[in-house]
Amino acid sequence: MGSTFELGARPVYTGTHVTRAQDDSLLSGQGTYVADLHRDGMAEMAVVRSTVAHGRITAVRTAEAAAVDGVIEVITAADLTDVSPYPNFASAYTQTPGTFPLAQDKVRYVGSPVAVVLAEDRYIAEDAAELVVVDYEELPAVISLEDALEPDSPRLFEDWPDNRLLDLQPDDSEVAAILAGSRVFRRRYKMGRHTAMPMETRACMAEVRDDRLHLWCTNQHAHIARTTLSYVLPVAERDIRVVIPHVGGGFGLKQHLYPEDVLASWLALRHRRPVRFVEDRAEHMIAAAHARDHMMDMEAAIDDDGRILAIRVQVVQDLGSAEIFPGAWCPALTTAAHMTGPYDIGQCVVSVAAVTTNKTPGGSYRGFGVPEAVFAVERFIDEIAQEVGVNRLDLRRSMLLQPEDLPYTTASGALLDSGSFAESFEKVVELAEPAYRRAEAQYGADPQSRVGVGYAVLFEGVSPTHHGASAHWAGHESCSIEVQPDGGVRVASGVTDQGQGTTTFVATLAADALGVPIETVHVELADSDSTPYGLGAFGSRQAVVGGGALLLAAGEVRDKVKKIAAHMLEATEDDLVIEAGRVHVAGSPAPAVTMAEIATTAVIRTIDLPPGMEPGLEATARYEPELMEHVPDENGRINPNAAYANAAHAAVIRVDVGTGEIEVLNYILAHDCGRVINPPIVDGQIWGGIAQGVGGTLYEDLRFNDLGQPQTAFMDYLVPSAIEMPEVVIEHFESPSPNTPLGIKGVGEGGTVGPAAAIGNALAHALAEFKPQIRETPLSPAVVRAMIGDQQT
Amino acid sequence: MSAPTARRVEPTTEVPISVTVNGHAVEAVVPARQLLADFLRDELRLTGTHVGCEQGICGACTINLDGEPVRSCIMLAAQVDGSSITTVEGLASEGLSPLQQAFKDNHGLQCGFCTPGFLMTLSTVDPDEYPGTEGIREAISGNLCRCTGYGGILQAVRTAWNRTEDG
Repeated sequence: MGSTFELGARPVYTGTHVTRAQDDSLLSGQGTYVADLHRDGMAEMAVVRSTVAHGRITAVRTAEAAAVDGVIEVITAADLTDVSPYPNFASAYTQTPGTFPLAQDKVRYVGSPVAVVLAEDRYIAEDAAELVVVDYEELPAVISLEDALEPDSPRLFEDWPDNRLLDLQPDDSEVAAILAGSRVFRRRYKMGRHTAMPMETRACMAEVRDDRLHLWCTNQHAHIARTTLSYVLPVAERDIRVVIPHVGGGFGLKQHLYPEDVLASWLALRHRRPVRFVEDRAEHMIAAAHARDHMMDMEAAIDDDGRILAIRVQVVQDLGSAEIFPGAWCPALTTAAHMTGPYDIGQCVVSVAAVTTNKTPGGSYRGFGVPEAVFAVERFIDEIAQEVGVNRLDLRRSMLLQPEDLPYTTASGALLDSGSFAESFEKVVELAEPAYRRAEAQYGADPQSRVGVGYAVLFEGVSPTHHGASAHWAGHESCSIEVQPDGGVRVASGVTDQGQGTTTFVATLAADALGVPIETVHVELADSDSTPYGLGAFGSRQAVVGGGALLLAAGEVRDKVKKIAAHMLEATEDDLVIEAGRVHVAGSPAPAVTMAEIATTAVIRTIDLPPGMEPGLEATARYEPELMEHVPDENGRINPNAAYANAAHAAVIRVDVGTGEIEVLNYILAHDCGRVINPPIVDGQIWGGIAQGVGGTLYEDLRFNDLGQPQTAFMDYLVPSAIEMPEVVIEHFESPSPNTPLGIKGVGEGGTVGPAAAIGNALAHALAEFKPQIRETPLSPAVVRAMIGDQQT
Repeated sequence: MSAPTARRVEPTTEVPISVTVNGHAVEAVVPARQLLADFLRDELRLTGTHVGCEQGICGACTINLDGEPVRSCIMLAAQVDGSSITTVEGLASEGLSPLQQAFKDNHGLQCGFCTPGFLMTLSTVDPDEYPGTEGIREAISGNLCRCTGYGGILQAVRTAWNRTEDG
């Protein structure tokens, strides 16, 4: 990648456990989350939400609510005359839902915002919200994705020809020809509907200061949020500031700019007083983005040994009502891009449909289409092995990409430039087989127990283009670095921190790239007024692109530091070393000049600068990965990521055949995210990702009845506790990408994408005697018990 | 939310309370329906007590009430008259307590939203009653964390309680 992405000569922090600067305040209750913000005269919002899944609004009666003491105003869509619908930049290949912050003529899911009560406090706002009466002419609801695909299905959007927001049918003639002449294996897999469920719900607080709108919110992107607000509200972008204080977990759910952010802003502008919205958990269950809910129909041509020669897939994603921005069809495209797994399957064609149903809009969630693909591909391989009668491990070995295959371009166009696909798999097998034997020894004699081990091997696109989701933004990140006269460093970047450690990696790389003590680095993120335009947190991107922009900016500053120091020391630049905030000639620590002396020269005593040198010691850089593609070619092929991480997962489980309960005894994962910046933070990402993957596989399920009424309260939505979380063993491989800064790949999602497949395969192994059909998640006790049926003796 | 027949109950009743919070005596007159979490956060501005679910499930709002871990989101402020409360702000007089320090050293928190609840639950626990790592899992099983997968938290508590991985 050339010499531009460099740490300094003597990096001391990168690769070590740098503890996090914000932890002292978070641990002592001094954090500042949006709900902690308080302003004099602050009013609070409560949202009146649709109680029917599909209906035409015939009346919204607000008078009684508006008359309650302490109510400032009750608004409906009719009041928002100067608000524009969210834009759709993908109208060339998608239908447009025309999403508006409040329902206009129709509601399309239970939870859809219909009216807002603004009151002196949240207690009063909720009291009054109960008095708003909405009359509906109810319409037949579309609940399942199968229903949505039916030609005579009711339509959510009457001006669309059907319920397909997206429908891509690529030319499959080549694969069809192979299928026609081969043994064909077919399966249908589904992944259920679950969601991120961050412990902090969504929140925002809008205020007008100096005639500008300031929005404090839980969004994952300060600048994308600002720009989107300018599209929807009648406010110039220069008059909007978005600030993201401490955030209690995002996981993709907080990528979307939700109606409440727009409504609080609109009300703050209208009433010229601060307006806060803090979502309660009951609202969160129905109004914050849901996720997954995919179906994968797989057909493969296989040879006598079970090897896959060609594969044809139809992916269908259930979008819910699709009234969300950015739109939520991109997980289906991401699923499609991962349908070959890390295997040498040269022929793969995937058609993709994203359909609307009368359920909460689907959106982003950690993994973003990859868990669905991995579940389908890895279950498929286990089922082929069983059908053909070959060993499931050997079948994988016969197809896995080997080091000599790299770089390898997948059938969908992904450029796997590095990785440890086969090696990570063998490592996991080596660790998991003994764990399985121990479990067998422990439980083998227990007639109530069956034990099994299951595997999943995967690659995972990281640092993606935003274009797949928005058809608007692309993939860059930016960073500004300023060395101040006292030698301290201010780093401002477009990346954001929802708790994953972004602030710490920025400080770490900056300190090493500039050769200064990390304590002298101040990191500024997530304030659109004080950071350069960046795209923020999504798709395990920030260390890759945020790191790249930072290293570019730091390189410019470092070069200038050396030039000034060379002048001051009367030495040659190439002989100089920067370390611990001082510059000296290599091999002789004195004489030296400090960063403070250099910066003072650069910005105050500029008369002492080398002749002709411009004052100042700062740089702003932007990094857009050059191999990342944003639009597919004419054959639908695209390399939409800056890099690809890989992993192998194994789960050892015990099944209680009486209750159907699955206990995950061991979870073993070999992960490769290229160069590691902070080992405990990487491990923390993986542990947390596994917990979410285990939850989505075994416990978490967002169900709806035939009327489209949500059936899952938070009490029933079983986020894993410490009791359910298995022991985890993590092995690291480091295959640096030759195409990313420092070889860094992303790690944010690697733990989440494998558990459904590994646990599903372990269940098939454990229950082999019952010949279970394991093709859907979640694998709840009731589902598992039904697989065992009355066969248990 | 929009039940057409709902009748409003006037929130006029107020209750005087006298309570010790983090060692300080507090006298207040609170609305009878005010949740303890809202009293702590909105009236006393002790925003370290976080509200994650308002239904007693997630444990983020846990406080130490007379030595017991209590969900402040499902208790009324009016109920704590005469009690002594410790919140996360009162855990250490300065700097970090050994448990807080162990969370920092072992990456026992990510977003930090659930963290005060874990700390407050643990502040009421006698380690001897929760042996081994399984004991720690049980001790914190009433607190949900969505970021860490509990790995860093288990390690932090083992460190604070001088335990090895096996027990």
